[in-house]
Amino acid sequence: MNYRPYLLLAELTYRCPLHCPYCSNPTRYPDGRELTTAEWQRVFREAADLGVLHAGLSGGEPLQRADLPELVATAHEAGLYTNLITSAVGLNETRLAQLKAAGLDSIQISFQADEEFAANRIAGAATHRVKLTAARLTRAAGFPLTVNVVLHRDNIDRLAQIIALAEELEAERLELANTQFYGWAFRNRAALLPTRGQIAAGSAVAARERKRLRGRMRILFVTPDYYSDRPKPCMDGWGRRYLTVNPAGEVLPCPTAKEIKELRFDSVRDHALGWIWHESPAFNRFRGTEWMPLPCRECEFREIDFGGCRCQAALLAGDASVTDPACSLSPYRARLTEFVEAAQNNAAPDFEYRQNPPFHPLP
Amino acid sequence: MNAITDESRAVLARGVRLRADPLTGEPLLLFPEGILPLDESTHDILLRCNGELSFAGIVRALSEEYEAEPEVLRADVAACLTQLREEMLVAW
Repeated sequence: MNYRPYLLLAELTYRCPLHCPYCSNPTRYPDGRELTTAEWQRVFREAADLGVLHAGLSGGEPLQRADLPELVATAHEAGLYTNLITSAVGLNETRLAQLKAAGLDSIQISFQADEEFAANRIAGAATHRVKLTAARLTRAAGFPLTVNVVLHRDNIDRLAQIIALAEELEAERLELANTQFYGWAFRNRAALLPTRGQIAAGSAVAARERKRLRGRMRILFVTPDYYSDRPKPCMDGWGRRYLTVNPAGEVLPCPTAKEIKELRFDSVRDHALGWIWHESPAFNRFRGTEWMPLPCRECEFREIDFGGCRCQAALLAGDASVTDPACSLSPYRARLTEFVEAAQNNAAPDFEYRQNPPFHPLP
Repeated sequence: MNAITDESRAVLARGVRLRADPLTGEPLLLFPEGILPLDESTHDILLRCNGELSFAGIVRALSEEYEAEPEVLRADVAACLTQLREEMLVAW
């Protein structure tokens, strides 16, 4: 089978002014300097040649890169649909005009809650007001706006108010993503996992509001796999449609793949992107169904959920090559269920806030 | 949501791009986090959603192109655009 990447997530930097405890960035950052402007430009051109159609510009906070408009321009000229995934800190009128001129297609702004006190507590930084201003400027500059709110125990009860905020900001899209437990979020999972009752109430609100706002705002609500019987079809399969390039240039089949300690990920500094996508050992390790253990190998869902998430298998079972423990057929599911049940009544521990890399080696 | 009328001028919604797949030539709509491959008739309709043609004008142009009666095409074009509008890919 000839695999083709459709979407490139470009993590331009790990630097970020926020400290969200739900961040899926790694808790141990890779060594090495951030890719230079010229290196990123080569990545975007090579990605377009491979068939990539979308480039998500993310981080960390991508606005921390002074060369962001230049990078957007290159991606745009290569034909990629460019989407800025940002906290909005640093997004002012000048920057918006530069990004517009560079050909940026759309902007996604994260919010932590609907009101300032809770939002700033979750972000570990006083950024809520800055975001409100930036979201309004984004609309005024003519960009389509996606609002992204990562949901967890501490904000999901305010879902109706969060949706009202996105409506007030005239977002076309609202992504309500229940926390995925990787990186910093995995460390904080006892503090972040909502209760079963919270999820049920949140799902009902999302369904009701999706109907009410049909044709005005698209609402995506992703239920957490810790509460599911079936694993998520993570990344639509390993090395099948998506690729991520991290700030140090390592190419990953998914943004959190560094959770899998036994894999070595090749860098765009050493290889062409096409070689890494098609030939590198890491991208081929979990492609297709050949690698699958039982029960996945004989499962009727094997080409639907692809055995679930490899990172989750590594984190929860200590082995990236076993069935995702979120699956009811996994021998590790009982242990995960134990954690979920304990969370129903436990008081949530304090957040361990995301830290930036200890030093910021600039390109 | 107002229903489409003869005077409605449908355009691609903000942030939606129509382009050919560089590898296959197949027509696509690109939008935030999304890719929609287009069949030929939807593509023909969207090529005319340029803000200059009204809905009646699009139906007329397509009827000339396909050598079909406008009244035969009308309901299909309306259904197609209404569906795309619900998905927020076109606006009028």
